Amino acid sequence: MVEKILEEIKASLVTAGLHEASYAQNGYHLSLELQTGNITDGAKLFMANAFYLEDLFCVDYIDYLELVYFFNSYKELYRVKVTLKVDADKPVAPTISHIYTMARWYEREIHEFFGVYFDGHPNLTYLFLHDGIDHYPLRKKRVPVPDEDKKLLNSFKPREEDDCFFVNLGPQHPSTHGVLRVVVKMDGEYIISAEPVLGYLHRMHEKMAENRSYLQFLPNPARIDYPGALLLNLAHVATVEKLCSIEVPERAHYVRTITCELNRIASHLLWFGAFPADLGALTPFMYAFDDREQILDILEDVTGSRLTYCYFRFGGLYNDIDDTFIDKTKNFIKRMRERFSMYDKLITGNVIFVNRAEGTGIFKQDEAIKYGCTGPFIRSTGIPYDIRKAEPYAVYDQVDFDIPTGTIGDNMDRYRVRMAEMEMSLRIIEQAIAKLPTGPFKAEKVPKKLKPPKGDIYFAVESSRGEAGVYVVSDESDTPYRMRWRVPSFSNLMTFPSLAEGNLIADAIATLGSYDIVVPEIDR
Amino acid sequence: MMQNINNIIELVGWEAIKLIIGLIGVLVVVVVNALVLTWAERKVSGHMQRRIGPKEVGPYGLLQPIADTLKLIAKELLTPQNVEKPLYFLAPVIVFIPVMVSFVVIPFDAYLQVKDINVGILVILAFSSLSVLSILLAGWGSNNKYSLIGSVRSVAQNIAYEIPLLLALLSVVIMANSLSLKDIVESQKGLWNIFVQPIAFLVFFIAGVAETNRTPFDLPEAESELVAGFHTEYSGMRFALFFLAEYTNMFIICAITTTFFLGGYQGPILPGFVWFFGKTYLLVFVILWFRWTFPRVRFDQLLNLSWKLLIPVSLVNLIVTGGILKL
Amino acid sequence: MAITNPVEIIKGAISLVIGLGVTIKAFFSPVITTQYPRVELKISPRFRGHTKLVADKENPDRTPCIVCGMCEKNCPSGAIVKVVGEKKEGEKKKTLTSYILDFTTCSQCGICVEICPVDALAFSAEYNRAVFTREGCQFDLVKEFEKRNAR
Repeated sequence: MVEKILEEIKASLVTAGLHEASYAQNGYHLSLELQTGNITDGAKLFMANAFYLEDLFCVDYIDYLELVYFFNSYKELYRVKVTLKVDADKPVAPTISHIYTMARWYEREIHEFFGVYFDGHPNLTYLFLHDGIDHYPLRKKRVPVPDEDKKLLNSFKPREEDDCFFVNLGPQHPSTHGVLRVVVKMDGEYIISAEPVLGYLHRMHEKMAENRSYLQFLPNPARIDYPGALLLNLAHVATVEKLCSIEVPERAHYVRTITCELNRIASHLLWFGAFPADLGALTPFMYAFDDREQILDILEDVTGSRLTYCYFRFGGLYNDIDDTFIDKTKNFIKRMRERFSMYDKLITGNVIFVNRAEGTGIFKQDEAIKYGCTGPFIRSTGIPYDIRKAEPYAVYDQVDFDIPTGTIGDNMDRYRVRMAEMEMSLRIIEQAIAKLPTGPFKAEKVPKKLKPPKGDIYFAVESSRGEAGVYVVSDESDTPYRMRWRVPSFSNLMTFPSLAEGNLIADAIATLGSYDIVVPEIDR
Repeated sequence: MMQNINNIIELVGWEAIKLIIGLIGVLVVVVVNALVLTWAERKVSGHMQRRIGPKEVGPYGLLQPIADTLKLIAKELLTPQNVEKPLYFLAPVIVFIPVMVSFVVIPFDAYLQVKDINVGILVILAFSSLSVLSILLAGWGSNNKYSLIGSVRSVAQNIAYEIPLLLALLSVVIMANSLSLKDIVESQKGLWNIFVQPIAFLVFFIAGVAETNRTPFDLPEAESELVAGFHTEYSGMRFALFFLAEYTNMFIICAITTTFFLGGYQGPILPGFVWFFGKTYLLVFVILWFRWTFPRVRFDQLLNLSWKLLIPVSLVNLIVTGGILKL
Repeated sequence: MAITNPVEIIKGAISLVIGLGVTIKAFFSPVITTQYPRVELKISPRFRGHTKLVADKENPDRTPCIVCGMCEKNCPSGAIVKVVGEKKEGEKKKTLTSYILDFTTCSQCGICVEICPVDALAFSAEYNRAVFTREGCQFDLVKEFEKRNAR
């Protein structure tokens, strides 16, 4: 497959720089440079070869702006980085949103933060900053927003139409989705269109990263995805370690895997409590939180925090684990397995729940490429794509686990996939505890002021929602030049309008609950 | 003094005096029931979720309902700007009246019934249909999309579930040969109706839970979907009246189930009304149990359940009962 | 939806009864919550409360802090407002006189604790520091250290 795509690229696209990058060093396999003339042809080529758009963002190299596209495939790991240089004074680029639907939101985000205009984009307005901005936030120099663009801001008022009415789902919810607002156009009980409105929780983590050193940015990933804080902490730490070539001792890898899997179970339990609560069953929430308290107590004994962990450091961990942690974890695993049967009796077998969840919110496999969805969302449609198997990090290549998949891609399949994933996590923890080596928990010589060598790197982990990736551009100073967070909930949520259309509002709410989105992640 | 009282009794009539005392008693029962149920719901939900419910206000939280009532009375009666004033103000009042009337015919004991009307069950069914009207008024008068959706759902649900309710009761009525509640209780002297008519019991209970808008049929108040449904815009005492009406409705449905299927006030040793309240509150506990176990049924599944399952089953039950009685 | 299939109906009803069984079992099981203000919770030793100054091993009346300012420079949120010290007579290194921690922005990341060259900071086990004013959140760690020593 690799040769095939290389041949096709060489044959059909005229590229300036095509070179095979070192995966171990940069995290991607191939780097292409295209021009405004053939970027759409390039996108069509990747679409024809079943590559999905992993990420699309912009980096400001003061003389020019560089649009970076990452393509990857579900079947075989082959990450391609495509760059497109645009002029810094008049940044115009063609859109690829007619090929990859996900690009619609990515391009709106770039337009909002960098000021790049995309020709042919259906709706190029702001995505996050609703109150209006004077200058483009992520640019290195202060570039003011032209006046005709300012008129587009604050223009989100749905037009009044006959025979239908607009309802706001949120931003204040009785269910724990987070601060997400969905403007729903309804005709009686049926939804005609649903549009998420983002930006209620936007804190500009990517700008914060440019003003803080790598060490100082450590508390931030936990605030990006709070239920799965250790997983994103691992993404940040492992990226910088790979960039600076810091060797991490084996024991630290094992402890990282164990704590990350515990955090994954805690995150799935939170979802498990919230999903039936959307449907009306309020009791499983309490039972799930009982189990979650056990995990939080175990992790509190080790890391000191209960929700927003700042436990990993460059080169290892903040402090070591002890035997009480191992005993408590073993007891927890035994107890959790018994609780699964109780959850099956209460929820999974319940005929009312099954009738609500089965057959609703069906997402087809072939749509997945256009959106770039990852995580349990895509595994429920039958695609067995898991970063822990595709590009193993930490200790995942030394433990044995399966990837649970669904068949149809409805809400019930997503539920089943997540329950099976919790069982897989227990298996991983058991094996990792059995193989835990002794030794140091932190690398010896890690400089206090980290100055990584010049270059860029992309690194992805499997967070509890999907693929969470970090892209760092380093310019040899102790703060990153650009740090980009690719978050799974962003690409998953974009499928919601198409899934909600034409359905009852009760089904749409159940579907929204089954996504397991975390809004701080979407808004960053 | 005794001469004056005798004069009043002769003037007004013994029946009227009995009626007034009975109505006062009914009012007391209604209020006490609402207080008890508020406490019981929170305690039951707490223990089912492995936590304790209220515990600070009074021992075991027993004074919690009184604290809640005082809070609700003291709250500001907020009237949003564009409501339809007459409908908005009328709705909480109307929701309360039918339940009070239904209490008049329920036999708490052999001689503790306010008035034994000979078409007792018809009175109850007729007046319970009126409570739908109040929900409709509340939803429309609130001038709020969520309330409107909630009340429209509630009307469709109530209409759909009236019919199985009626058909299940008819099976018992034709066995007992009378519409009067007292006679129906008396007809269960040998064997309680639940053993003779189990299907009618199940159909009636499910339809009754749906009539009172309790989970799993609580779409009109679906919390996670529509904020609070038809009573979104009501606060303070008006909200309290809606809730009072819901709890009283629950009590009435359980009381009718007891009367029709569980033998009413019959039982050995203990006095009749103890048995009656015991059985009724057992069924109330079952309804509370349902709420904290099951998720909500979707709207079209709700209507399907009624029209495609409950009505045919209760019709067949009625025909079979009639057939067996004829033979 | 197979609502008219009698086998499905019976199976559905049985699943509902099984679910009811789970909740009634929980109804009679003991409570798992702790009634917090009446019952104190046990805090684990590694719990991250706000930071505190530790006592010097040789001289328990003072802290080992050398007023280098590493914690202040490396704090991601600027929670360490100002570390002030003065050079006392006859001593080689500076002595700490004022250390204000703005707890409204502290995220308990532990960078200051880890980066201190003399290990003068540690996490305390305090979680009950709620106040009514913003000024109450400016913790003076030197004063707290002295109060702890006086006891």
